[in-house]
Amino acid sequence: MRVTLSARISAWIDQHQRSAYSSYMEMRRRPLAAMMTLLVIGITLALPASLLSLLKISQTLTGDHQQNASISLFLKNGIVDQKALRVAADLEQQPQIDHVELLTSADAMEEFRSHSGFGDALDALDDNPLPNVLLIHLTPDNSSIDIRKLAAELKEESVTDSIEYDQGWIERMQAITQAIRRAVQALGFGLGLAVMLIIGNTIRLEIMNRREEIEVTRLVGGSDDFIRRPFLYIGLIYGLFGALIAWLLVSILLMLVSGPLGRLAELYDTAISLSAFSLHALLLLIPIGISFGLAGAWLAVNRHLSSINPE
Amino acid sequence: MIHFENVSKRFPGGHYGVSNITLNIESGALAFITGHSGAGKSTLLRLIALLERPTRGQLLIDGRNIGRLPEKEIPAHRRKIGLIFQDHRLLNDRSVFDNVALPLHVRGFPVREVGKRVRASLDKVGLLKKEKVLPITLSSGEQQRVGIARAIVSRPPILLADEPTGNLDPELSREIMDLFLAFNQLGITTLIASHDLDLIKKLGRPVINLQQGELT
Repeated sequence: MRVTLSARISAWIDQHQRSAYSSYMEMRRRPLAAMMTLLVIGITLALPASLLSLLKISQTLTGDHQQNASISLFLKNGIVDQKALRVAADLEQQPQIDHVELLTSADAMEEFRSHSGFGDALDALDDNPLPNVLLIHLTPDNSSIDIRKLAAELKEESVTDSIEYDQGWIERMQAITQAIRRAVQALGFGLGLAVMLIIGNTIRLEIMNRREEIEVTRLVGGSDDFIRRPFLYIGLIYGLFGALIAWLLVSILLMLVSGPLGRLAELYDTAISLSAFSLHALLLLIPIGISFGLAGAWLAVNRHLSSINPE
Repeated sequence: MIHFENVSKRFPGGHYGVSNITLNIESGALAFITGHSGAGKSTLLRLIALLERPTRGQLLIDGRNIGRLPEKEIPAHRRKIGLIFQDHRLLNDRSVFDNVALPLHVRGFPVREVGKRVRASLDKVGLLKKEKVLPITLSSGEQQRVGIARAIVSRPPILLADEPTGNLDPELSREIMDLFLAFNQLGITTLIASHDLDLIKKLGRPVINLQQGELT
């Protein structure tokens, strides 16, 4: 028989469509069992995915904050405004520094008076005890090590009385998120394996159920590839739909935390878009779901298919 | 076409399915294999389809020794053969059409071609109107004809039938045999294992008689 290339391709596509469709119908035949399996896969995938999403959100919050990192440099007494401005201008030359704000002792007093409620007490003071302060705003691309080095340098300046920067807790936060991220990744890997085993077991049952079909297909000359295909599709379908369910669960979770998170973001002066995280989770989950599904199916098929031979 | 050269099949445990068979079946021939149950009729056919491998001797099909054929090439070998069983071996969860179409699907036939061939095949066995029903709703004779339609749909050069009339009354048996004769007319090499001696005698074709795994 002569077969043109296009006919060959269309036959190939048709074979795959048939396999995929028959796999889908096979699942439809036992909807409850299929649904339960999908839910188990979905929940299993949702757990690490939602943790990763929350991690990413917390990173966005602290990350944004780090961009606004600043160092407060308290000038020694007797450094008058003119000199302070000159120091500020000098500092602005440095590449790590975005701009420098001078907060004079008078400004500081004013601010303190209006915010602290100690106005009357302050009036009792003879002179202003507050120093001039340089608020050094850093450029966003400084690592915490850069910042620490810069802080050490600034501390050595002759005009410096003391310095303060809020790097400490950011570093701690970063270390904590790093540790959590590792843990989540390990957890995700373990749960991914679990998904693979769940799908592998489902496929194994499926193979046992379709024993006769496999035997007859072998009798009429069906190749291993042909026999394997519908089962791989079942794995793929479980992986894909399991991932979609997981995504749904993650999205629901994000929606639940969106209220408190919004307030948190406000405190950090940032806006976070949850739909971006939801999309990110989707893009992560689908390939992972599909590959674990296929891998589980592949394992089961290779283990069990060869044991089925026609009588 | 099919050439047995001192072929034996010894099963684990020492029992022989067939022993020391030498036999030549010309291309386009039709022959019956007779003998009591357990005489080795099925084993002979199963060896040709590589459902069993010979433990000794050479089995040449189309000039090729299939005794040592690698596992991977077995599907391609089976596609040269149409197999018919006493118990039909139809899949009862799909229609007659889909049962008959299976050999074409495993060969990757284009959809339109599948439809044409399946209907042509069902037409030959007189079941064109039953393509949509499930095999289980058919009579035993009809189911056997579906099995035959499935075996011939891909137009294989060899047709092997193991007790195809085993469960049928004489009239239906005759009809089934007539179908085989008709396909043989088209040049298909046909081997039919049967113990329906009366019917075989009437048809006047070569008979291979087996007793305890040996030719007589």
